Amino acid sequence: MNFSIKPRSFRLSACLTSLAVALTFATSSVSSQELKIGLSSSPAAVDPHFFNNDAISALCSHIYEPLIAIDAEGKLLPTLAVSWRAVNDTTWEFKLRKGVKFHDGSDFTAEDVVFSLDRPATIQNSPSSYTTYTKAIAGKKIVDPLTIQLTTAAPAPLLPNDLTRIFIVSRKAAENATTDDFNQGKVEAGSGPFKLVKFSKGENLQLSRFDAYWGNKPAWSSVTLKFLPNDPARMAALLSSDVQLIENVQANLVSQFKANKDLTVFEKMSNRYMFLYTDHRDTSPFVTDKAGKPLDRNPLKDVRVREAISKLIDRTVLTERVLDKLGVPNANPAPPGMFGHNPNLKPDVLDVAGAKKLLADAGYPDGFGITIFGPNDRFINDEQVLQAIGQMLTRGGIATKVQTQPMASYIPKASKKELGFGLLGWGVGGGEPSSPLRGVLATTDKDKGLGTSNWSSYSSAQYDSTLIEALRTVDDKKREKLFQEAAEIAIKKDFAIIPLYNQVATWASRKGVRYLPRPDEATLAQFAHPE
Amino acid sequence: MKQLLDAFSSSRTERLALIILLLLILCALAAPLISPQNPYDLAQLNIMDGRLPPGSVASAIGIEEGAPRGLHRYWLGSDDQGRDMFSAILYGLRISLTVGVSSTLLALAFGLTLGLLAGYFGGRLDTLIMRVADIQLSFPAILIALVLLAVLGQGVGKIVTALFAVQWAYYARTTRSAALVERRKEYIEAARLLGLSTPRILFRHLLPNCLPPLIVVAALQVAAAISLEATLSFLGIGLPITEPSLGLLIANGFQYLLVGMYWISFFPGIALLLLIVSINLVADRLRDVLNPRLQKQ
Repeated sequence: MNFSIKPRSFRLSACLTSLAVALTFATSSVSSQELKIGLSSSPAAVDPHFFNNDAISALCSHIYEPLIAIDAEGKLLPTLAVSWRAVNDTTWEFKLRKGVKFHDGSDFTAEDVVFSLDRPATIQNSPSSYTTYTKAIAGKKIVDPLTIQLTTAAPAPLLPNDLTRIFIVSRKAAENATTDDFNQGKVEAGSGPFKLVKFSKGENLQLSRFDAYWGNKPAWSSVTLKFLPNDPARMAALLSSDVQLIENVQANLVSQFKANKDLTVFEKMSNRYMFLYTDHRDTSPFVTDKAGKPLDRNPLKDVRVREAISKLIDRTVLTERVLDKLGVPNANPAPPGMFGHNPNLKPDVLDVAGAKKLLADAGYPDGFGITIFGPNDRFINDEQVLQAIGQMLTRGGIATKVQTQPMASYIPKASKKELGFGLLGWGVGGGEPSSPLRGVLATTDKDKGLGTSNWSSYSSAQYDSTLIEALRTVDDKKREKLFQEAAEIAIKKDFAIIPLYNQVATWASRKGVRYLPRPDEATLAQFAHPE
Repeated sequence: MKQLLDAFSSSRTERLALIILLLLILCALAAPLISPQNPYDLAQLNIMDGRLPPGSVASAIGIEEGAPRGLHRYWLGSDDQGRDMFSAILYGLRISLTVGVSSTLLALAFGLTLGLLAGYFGGRLDTLIMRVADIQLSFPAILIALVLLAVLGQGVGKIVTALFAVQWAYYARTTRSAALVERRKEYIEAARLLGLSTPRILFRHLLPNCLPPLIVVAALQVAAAISLEATLSFLGIGLPITEPSLGLLIANGFQYLLVGMYWISFFPGIALLLLIVSINLVADRLRDVLNPRLQKQ
């Protein structure tokens, strides 16, 4: 799963924290050797194979490297593998980089790749397992110490994209290590630009430069990533020079920060795709008539009703006003420029009259009642966005109640399909749109890993067959066309989900620090440079 | 009653507190009549009017035909959704008072009954009830409420339940100690000899003599319940966001404090402060009046 969960931070305690931060007169000045970063998440582990979660991945990206990485433009970047090619439909061959050393001094070879691909399956109690990306691999053949062949049962053209999610660890260092050993920094199993010094859960992660790194060595000799999930506390930390770089600037402060001469703001349209899922089942728990009585059929099942909802939402107001410009209306799981982007898919524009006509045609001239759900601590201004959508739907005749809760309690309920209608964001990683197409829109089939987050309960044979064909097509051009077709069926024709916008990710630094913004929203010290 | 009025007229601070409290209650009762906007009706909010400073005039732009709203001023400004802060505070007061008073009454009724039973019968029943109360009191109130709300979900009824669960033990304890003293007195002895039924002795004879300390505790607890509700809402787990109580309004404006939009948090904060301080002052005075020892001096 590509959404990450950050713990609810209590505003009260944060209030005190920000006060404390403001009172501790900053003693640190920007030195080119030391970097302190304020993160908006507070990850619970730094074991690279324990929990498939964006925030943990970002932390681990300092210490560990995959065979293939994603660059700042979202494209595949040779990392521990220098090149790869499809030998035949079911076999991929990877040439590994020569002369790479792990932090413990051992050399990187194909043995380590085999060990790292096997390790996710040995992890017990993973909240979300990395086996999603390794499951397809049926055989691993070491050709020579720097060449490995991976075979799959069915054609897997996306295997290189999946491998961007798997970090490679040193077999020698990690063979008998547990997740606790990783968290306590007992194993030096990484090959990344930084070595782990100390991980203090809920506080910070301390790193030091790895001087034997094979690539460009980072400018910082030591880096501290501070976990500051509370927005005002993180802002105050930057303003008081307690940290030199922060991620996720509080939306309403962006313009103020831009005007501040001591600060620089960096922005990038994120590939986090925000949408509403809609319940396609016969009955839905929170859909009622206007008086609040249950209905015997679910209006959301009618595609005209879903289209009407889409037409009632003014995406310009959402992005310009509610998000303070930190959003771009978008209907495509693959944003412009990404492989699989479909130019025919355009975000709906506000059309109240059209929506009312569609509702009347569907048999609901007076509308109905609904509750919209969503998190209040995960996405940019999520609570405000949900309330604004509530306003817009209510104006159009659909009496809407809004219920928000911390992400940690929202996700379990939504994934059990207890809610029916709500907001979700999906980070479209790997440089192509297959993860949302598989996870959100395909008919749910747990064994095949399809529809794992299909909270709409959408099921279309036409869509499924197009998608499955795409996932097996090795030819890039043909596959891209099939991805475009599939997205058009589900979103433009069936309104399986109601697309809203893509977030704009932000970073802010103090003078003297530059950051290269990334569409995957990750904050990585190696992408920060002294000015 | 006259004695009560006298007590309040003798002190200027407490008279003022009583007047403010009565005014706040009146405002809360009359909220639908005097507020320019119904903040719970999403159709009446206009997002284009969001974050306006106090005194701004409501715009007519962006309102579709037929939307029932006249032009008005946002005397205390508006929040990010275009909610009129003045209306929101009036409605918020309503929720805060309802939650505070109803949870206190429920807890009072329950705690009082258990306390009377424990004090009157003693023995194992007493031990059982008091140990349960002890366990309950050994956890911080906010913790119990947090856990309960995490399980129950959001809503006025649910927050009342949570506050009730947190409060009843105070009343049980207070009632028990009063009942322990009273049950040894001769009038109870007499009632027993007359062959009166136990419920009658408990509620007609024992209860009225245990009441004065309870009234004081209850009055103070209303304020405590209101502030606990505000805290829970501030933490984002009490009430749904579209039905803001005072605590939720303060939380809503929290992120705008750094931007300089003080009014979203500030005015609800003042309202909450006035409400709690005035209840506390009135309860304090009530304690002095009902305490016979202080009266004699």
